[in-house]
Amino acid sequence: MNARNLFLAGLLSATALGGTGAYAQDAAAACAGEEVTLRILRTPGNYPYPAPMEAWQKENPCVNFEINEIPFAQLADTISVQAASSNPPDILVYDGPNTRSYAAAGILLPITKYLPEGWDEDILPATKAEHSYEGEVYSPGIEQTTVAMYYNKMLVEAAGIKPPQTLDEAWTWPQALEAFKACQQGPAGAPTVWGLGPTRFGNGQPGLVYQDLIYQRSAGDPKADPDSSAYKTFWALSPDGNSVEGYLNTPEAIEALTFYQSLFNAEGVAPKVGIPNAFFDGKACFYIDTPAAGSALLKDPKIEWGITPIPYFKTPVVHTGSTTIGATARSKHPEIAAKFVVDMSWGEYAYMNVSQRGNLPTLKSLFPRFEVYGNYPMKVFIDQLQEWGQPRPPGPKFAQYDKLVTDALRAVAFGGDPAELMADAEKKVQRVLDR
Amino acid sequence: MPASNTLSAASATGSIQPKTGTRKPATRRQKRDWMFAAGFLAPFMILLLVFQYLPLLVMARNSVYDYSLLNPAAAKFVGLRNFTDMIEYEDAAISFGVTFLFALGVVLLVIPVAFALALFLNSKLPARGLVRTVIMLPVVTSSVVVAIMWSFLLDPSNGLINGVLNIAGIGNQPFLTSTDQALPALVAMTLWQQVGFGAILFLAGLQGLPVELTEAARIDGATRRQVLWNVTIPLLSRTTLFVVVIMTVFSLQAFAPAFLMTQGGPQESTNLIVYHIYNSAFIMQQAGYASALSVVLLLVVLAISMAQMALLRSRWNY
Amino acid sequence: MKSTPLRRGLFVALVIVLILCCFLAPYAWIVASSFKNQLTLFNDVTPLSWKAFFPVGGTFENYRTLFERTNVLTALLNTAIVSGGQVALTLLLCAMAAYSLTRIKFPGARIVFVLILLTFLLPIEAMMVPLYQVVSGLGLSNTLAGVMIPWIASPFGLFLLKQAFEELPVELEDAARIDGAGHVRIFFSIVLPNVKVPMLTLGLITFLFSWNSFLWPLVIVQDPANQVIQVAIAQQGSPTQLPNWGETFAGATVATLPLILLFLALQKYFTQGMTTSGIKG
Repeated sequence: MNARNLFLAGLLSATALGGTGAYAQDAAAACAGEEVTLRILRTPGNYPYPAPMEAWQKENPCVNFEINEIPFAQLADTISVQAASSNPPDILVYDGPNTRSYAAAGILLPITKYLPEGWDEDILPATKAEHSYEGEVYSPGIEQTTVAMYYNKMLVEAAGIKPPQTLDEAWTWPQALEAFKACQQGPAGAPTVWGLGPTRFGNGQPGLVYQDLIYQRSAGDPKADPDSSAYKTFWALSPDGNSVEGYLNTPEAIEALTFYQSLFNAEGVAPKVGIPNAFFDGKACFYIDTPAAGSALLKDPKIEWGITPIPYFKTPVVHTGSTTIGATARSKHPEIAAKFVVDMSWGEYAYMNVSQRGNLPTLKSLFPRFEVYGNYPMKVFIDQLQEWGQPRPPGPKFAQYDKLVTDALRAVAFGGDPAELMADAEKKVQRVLDR
Repeated sequence: MPASNTLSAASATGSIQPKTGTRKPATRRQKRDWMFAAGFLAPFMILLLVFQYLPLLVMARNSVYDYSLLNPAAAKFVGLRNFTDMIEYEDAAISFGVTFLFALGVVLLVIPVAFALALFLNSKLPARGLVRTVIMLPVVTSSVVVAIMWSFLLDPSNGLINGVLNIAGIGNQPFLTSTDQALPALVAMTLWQQVGFGAILFLAGLQGLPVELTEAARIDGATRRQVLWNVTIPLLSRTTLFVVVIMTVFSLQAFAPAFLMTQGGPQESTNLIVYHIYNSAFIMQQAGYASALSVVLLLVVLAISMAQMALLRSRWNY
Repeated sequence: MKSTPLRRGLFVALVIVLILCCFLAPYAWIVASSFKNQLTLFNDVTPLSWKAFFPVGGTFENYRTLFERTNVLTALLNTAIVSGGQVALTLLLCAMAAYSLTRIKFPGARIVFVLILLTFLLPIEAMMVPLYQVVSGLGLSNTLAGVMIPWIASPFGLFLLKQAFEELPVELEDAARIDGAGHVRIFFSIVLPNVKVPMLTLGLITFLFSWNSFLWPLVIVQDPANQVIQVAIAQQGSPTQLPNWGETFAGATVATLPLILLFLALQKYFTQGMTTSGIKG
């Protein structure tokens, strides 16, 4: 929504004292039947992108759109609130792991019967699994992503470091720490150039499950005995999703978290609060982000950069899953909403959407068209997804798990006692799971 | 306007007219007047009932259900489970504890500082008007802007306060990222924000004092300090109590600092109760539990307001 | 002891400067920084330089981005509408109710009064969840009307005006009544013109409260086109992505300036509204 439209929308809604800030697009072709308006709830500038939407409207001239945008940090609360309201949105664009929460709460419409022929063979199994609940598919998935570690070539080379470029040679965390220390400039805890830059997600503080739960998970071992703490550490939630006790507060996890904590405290190589654009301004040697950052740097190379796989302790692991799209169960136009959702994630429309953002597609048939992922550096993302990818601990209470565990991880990063905090997080998550 | 709500609560009680006389049959004119009164009162009373009393009932009902705002239709009756949970789990005790500590800190700091400022402003000063205006600026600035301003002032690496501390030879402090410093930092911020309000209230109190009393004491040979301790301060107890109540109620209802600056952390050290309620309802999706917390908060504030009314009415009239 | 007045003068001056610094420096920093880019902004603070408080090498870039890319302008407009509407309706409804309670004797007045009195004790912040359910049940979520409507029947406003009405001599109306004037005429042409100052005071306090309100609009409005300024800058400031400090400061400046100007112009009434009602019970 550009500024002028926003302004007009504001004026309109202002005069109507409570109209909704719609901007109706001109239906290019004439609409023969009844006009329908679909309301989309999403974060600013998220999927679906204007080009595929306009193309779709040419084929479906009777459909108009109204878009509501809210910041990522408030998306989950807003969806909760709006989906329950008398006038629910028709389309939700949300963080993928919530699919089961929303399906269990009856917010999402099952779309299995709307999926095109051949979808089952073409979709990435991980994406399908993430968006299925009790035998139904609730979202076709629109993109796939994960995080890797970017580095500033100039700074890193000046420090005489050569980060590995393939998964086989990936660093362990202690090796990575040596590199952070060697590359950092200025006093520990208050350097001019940080070893490991802050995230750009949330408010820039450490602790996000998506990015920081992988420290302890990588200290676990999925091949170990299912009763062992190593096994439980890796999964971070029981297989049936009903128990978290003994999955977060394990000896392996605490050891990993003690290391994690030292990055922000004793070693002083990572900041506790956000610094906007630190990596892109050359104020950090290393930086963890999704392919979107690489795609942005390819378009506008502010710095020379490279990518190294995410470091690990014992078992390399990265989180998968990303923004996705779904239709609401209480939509007044379920058929057309489901059709739109499915269309946006299939074939040419899916390509138009995903290529715009620069993340990865969810359809195998589209991979050959993303040439940039065929070679280093962006290939690291594909390799990681295939070899190391795991969904975030899934289940219908993901939103609460996410919030509680993020709070605990953040408190560890700020210097709290890892064992105490993980015990507390287990207790709190268990309370939610028991309800 | 929760803080101001309490402002005239005390004054209001005084104005209730005792019912007098026996009722006679109404004349036509009286009936017309009644109809008119009802019509003129109706819009106000309807809004009052719908937006104050109805939510109260809804809240009481919700507090014995387990439900989420995602799917309120699936509400489950749980009896007093939400209330027993408050005892069984630590979150409620911690949150109420943090909130009381916050309120206590604010009151203990605002009272002396605001009083000193008022004394200072009550003396002959150059630029008195300017000072009085300037200390009121934070009072009219929204808590959102104050929270944003201070989260940057308190930034551990690039904040202004650490910049000042560095000049004084003190190293960077972690402030909001430390369990020990986060709540004191919020108290300091609130002091900055509210002290002007307290000072203006004290100033009004000081200016309302009968001058003869202090003058008489001075003539009797009392020192300035003696006058202050033995005459001025006792005479201002009513004002003081009033400032205490306002600051307490304000602190109990603080939300923006926890929401914008700390998300209640680290380790719940700033998990103020209103933020905890918001979080329980909208993020943890336990709207029933949130309602139960609200009921308890309501009772606490009610108790404080009752105590305030009783105290204000009973003594300290001069 | 000759030097005492001089020393005292110096001391007083020092205290005044200290107070002014404490209260003005944060504002100066915010405003100055809102004209700077990220790098300059940081460099002026660590190590601290006088430049931190002045827009040295300033640019309007932050403001341009703010107005072009975010909903701040819409939000300002919405807030003006909400605050204006809330002030007008609060004044009207409170005055009408106060008139009924002070000028007409009717059965049940006491009950009505106690009902109103009790709402003083309700901490509205604690009731956001049920209030949300009530307001959205009325179909008013996501509307500007929904933002203002719960606060219009303000018990504080009623009491402020009731006190003022009680102080008005009844003789004023008696003459009019003899002339055959009805209540409506007495209300509009005799009572209201004589309570201008309390009305102004109440209007200002209501405006202040409405302009600065945050929690309720945060809960009830999700549509950015209907968002109010405090929520708009809070969302822009912290949660989305990493904030650009300069832009956030620009937002804070824009959100605060109108109120500060109003306060400076009408300070007397603001202060009066905040102190009178309670202090001399």
